[in-house]
Amino acid sequence: MAIRTDVVRLYRQVHTWTGILTGLILFVCFYAGALTMFKEPLERWITPPAAVTPATLDRAEDLVAATRALRPEVRDFTLAVEPALAGEAPLRLTWTEERFDPAPWAATLAPDGSVTVEQLNPSGIGLLVDFLHRTAGVPGDLDIGTTVTGIASALYVVALVSGVIILLPSLVKDFLILRVTRNVKRMWLDAHNLLGLISLPFHLVIALSAVVFGLHDHIYDTLDRVVYGGQMRAVAAASSPFRTVSKDMGPAGMLPPKEFLTRVHSLAPGFRPVSLEYHDAGTGAATVRVWGHDPRYLVRREGFVLMGAVDGRIIDTEYMPGHQNGWSATVSAFFALHFGSFGGGIVRWSYFLLGLAGAALFYTGNLLWIESRRRTERQAKGPVEQSRATRLLAAGTVGVCLGCVIGLSLTIAAGKWLSGLVDDLHAWHWGIYYATFLGACAWAFLRGASRAGAELLWASAAASAAIPATSLLGLVLPGLWLSDGLIGVDLVALAGALVFAAMARSAERRALTGSRDSVWAAPVEHQGSAMGIQPLAHPAE
Amino acid sequence: MTDTSSTRNPQAPIRADWWSKSVAGVVLGFALAIALSGLFAWIGPGGPAAVNKLQFVMWLVVPIWLGVVSLCFLFRSGRQAWLWLGGATVLAHTALLAARSPLLN
Repeated sequence: MAIRTDVVRLYRQVHTWTGILTGLILFVCFYAGALTMFKEPLERWITPPAAVTPATLDRAEDLVAATRALRPEVRDFTLAVEPALAGEAPLRLTWTEERFDPAPWAATLAPDGSVTVEQLNPSGIGLLVDFLHRTAGVPGDLDIGTTVTGIASALYVVALVSGVIILLPSLVKDFLILRVTRNVKRMWLDAHNLLGLISLPFHLVIALSAVVFGLHDHIYDTLDRVVYGGQMRAVAAASSPFRTVSKDMGPAGMLPPKEFLTRVHSLAPGFRPVSLEYHDAGTGAATVRVWGHDPRYLVRREGFVLMGAVDGRIIDTEYMPGHQNGWSATVSAFFALHFGSFGGGIVRWSYFLLGLAGAALFYTGNLLWIESRRRTERQAKGPVEQSRATRLLAAGTVGVCLGCVIGLSLTIAAGKWLSGLVDDLHAWHWGIYYATFLGACAWAFLRGASRAGAELLWASAAASAAIPATSLLGLVLPGLWLSDGLIGVDLVALAGALVFAAMARSAERRALTGSRDSVWAAPVEHQGSAMGIQPLAHPAE
Repeated sequence: MTDTSSTRNPQAPIRADWWSKSVAGVVLGFALAIALSGLFAWIGPGGPAAVNKLQFVMWLVVPIWLGVVSLCFLFRSGRQAWLWLGGATVLAHTALLAARSPLLN
């Protein structure tokens, strides 16, 4: 396809700038995002097995009544249906005190009918992975982090469009070709184009939806003022599922939990309920949201139907798969396409792999930036020193990317060791991740990109190998255990460890035998003594 | 920031004008996206108050906005970007005012 060369040149600059400004942020978002696809198995891998027998819902009504009597001030709570039926968790009511509460409260029923209320202490790995995915690890308030990633995602959309524009003229010639030759720049360019092009639809969907997730508050504020004349809250309230619910806060009895499930089943037989979320329980305004899946539709993580808890009437189905109007269904589809919450296991694994491929796309993008700014010995007719910017970006790239990889692997493996030993595993998860991440960044800048690159890759391999190693030790060591049915976690981590080890070996080889005029070459004063091997490229130097 | 010669000569190569084009794309592109989404809200199917249409309208802003930002470097100069995007934005907001005024009290 013919595009004027000045246009291509212009867009190459657009692509370079947007890419270099956002590459590292997006790497963290994508690597953590890939892990969010499997955060529940990770959470279970870390948590000690507890003897839970699959429960029925027969006693759920007693549990609700007894908890209401003991804690009348708690009116909003959730009854997890699916985990109780599957035996993954006891039959219990849970509630939180804030939106992202790492330690929710739980009420369970003893055989004698008495209620025990305790604070749960989940490992919190899911919360950490989620936070990193949404904020790239920018500390502080969630709003600051999501605004940062929202802006980065906007630049990422521009990077995608500009990347396609500069690729179009050579598309036919270069498509699906990977030239692995001595010309490393060509190889990284081919790899970058290949990754970018085959996952372009995924990237466009993720990028555009990530901008919405990051910046929706600001967009809504502007729409309110400019489009809805300050009346947007009223328009939104008129769409709320709760719009017709009465404000009657006087005491009122509620139907038993099983009754809601029966009514949902007759409304939508294909809908698989996961949990019941009560609101204003015990009052005349009491409602229940029955959350669940319907694999035949594109839904947000879960859809729900809103019912009256007193009389069991269906109040709203606007978030119920297959019962939505066109606007709701379309917006739900946008959510589903970002979350990969459709199509079951195949889509989940595809999103996991596409997420990792996305991380690789940004990594190769930074490598390309470095290669294309390389000062060659041939041009300079003598030994060269790479520019300060190139050296800093190379160190930053290995430090941030590998720091994120090592930190996540290490905090997962450590979770199993610390589970039961510490009270606030949640805080430990964060501490281990940030300490490792910052340590890796500092190491990369202190040691320089070429040495730190190989060393941090070995550390990534070791940290990932620690996950299956911990499981293996669970066979012999007291205090550790082999998690039932979660061999997939260990196998994926083992595969990751092997990949990182192979990368570490090739990074070492390149540092020693690759061309000397590269940021990845071993530093002159150390290369002989450190490895005991003389470089082959320029033995005279 | 810009000159007038390039606008009179269609054969001249595209000027980079990074700052003026970027600001035009980001600022005017956003204003234009808000106005076009708003027009869709008011004169599109269902009217402004259709259940959950508000969410769809908000989603609409992003692809329009970033589409403008992505393509605004194709303007021959920063001045051209400001003239065309500015004109389109003024038109779209005028149309939005006309479309929404009769419906508001």
